[in-house]
Amino acid sequence: MKVLVIIPAYNEELNIKKVVSNLIDHYPQYNYVVVNDGSADSTSQICHQEGYNIIDLPVNLGLAGAFQTGLKYADQEGYDCAIQFDADGQHRPEYIEDLLKEIENGYDIVIGSRFVTEKKPFSMRMLGNRMIERAIKFSTGKVLTDPTSGMRMYSKKIIHEFASNINYGPEPDTISFMIKQGASVKDVQVKMDERTAGESYLNLTRSIAYMLRMMLSILFIQNFRKRRKAD
Amino acid sequence: MSIYLRIILVVISMLSMMNVMKRVRRFKLQIENSIFWIIFSLLLILVAVFPDPMFWLAELLGIQSPANIVFLFVIFILLIKTFNLTLEISQLQYKIQELVQKIALDENKKNKEADKEEK
Repeated sequence: MKVLVIIPAYNEELNIKKVVSNLIDHYPQYNYVVVNDGSADSTSQICHQEGYNIIDLPVNLGLAGAFQTGLKYADQEGYDCAIQFDADGQHRPEYIEDLLKEIENGYDIVIGSRFVTEKKPFSMRMLGNRMIERAIKFSTGKVLTDPTSGMRMYSKKIIHEFASNINYGPEPDTISFMIKQGASVKDVQVKMDERTAGESYLNLTRSIAYMLRMMLSILFIQNFRKRRKAD
Repeated sequence: MSIYLRIILVVISMLSMMNVMKRVRRFKLQIENSIFWIIFSLLLILVAVFPDPMFWLAELLGIQSPANIVFLFVIFILLIKTFNLTLEISQLQYKIQELVQKIALDENKKNKEADKEEK
């Protein structure tokens, strides 16, 4: 199976080299592409210097737009599956293999979850995670143990659908929608690291806005959507 | 607030919410952009169904009719929304400008390289 690791990067000059060189040195069986989302720092220069495979977006699109660029690339180059991989060093490449196995078993979407066998801690940070888990359970009947995990692998037919349509951002509400529409989704236990350097995008206001959007979307809006199978 | 105003509020809000959902369904509207209108409609329905806080607010602010409070509230929200839309349009215009310039400059570079190769 041809696997593409999509690495969306926005102002990740402190982490990008470590993440990509680790991938190249230890996991040469996977292809990768860095999607630079119009970074203002030297993310792009570093990638060009090192000769990485990079797509430079001339303007900032946000994570959804950057990741979709990676999916379009995967679709165009005929990859069998694609995985979203954070540029900040949170995701560990040794788990790609475990996710890939489930795609080979026929699942449409496989999520690298921190809480399949591990217990989810009762912390402020996990409150949102828990609420989204409940909402998805209510809406679809299925338990996703780590709905906010960004480490998700998509099969070929899903890549095409996500790459060519509106409202397919890499967020829990899209996954909830896909489950409702009959896609098969599987959780796989992974470990994640704390981000090694740089700042997280989420602050309190943004977190609240994000939660509001997710809850409304999962519990309400997604019920009215229909799926367009692009083939 | 008359019962008629309340009924109109509920009906219009329901219709506009259905309209928003139709656009999402037809792949015309991004979910991010639909959130505001859904919350706004829900709020108006809430006000129409439970008008008591409006009476209380009207008294507090010395405004004669609670209906006026509703209008004021709607105007405020729409003003803020309009300003935010202006901001977004402004950023979009600039992004388009950057994109067009980038494409044109790339084209220029490509043509020059092609000319060099011919010579």
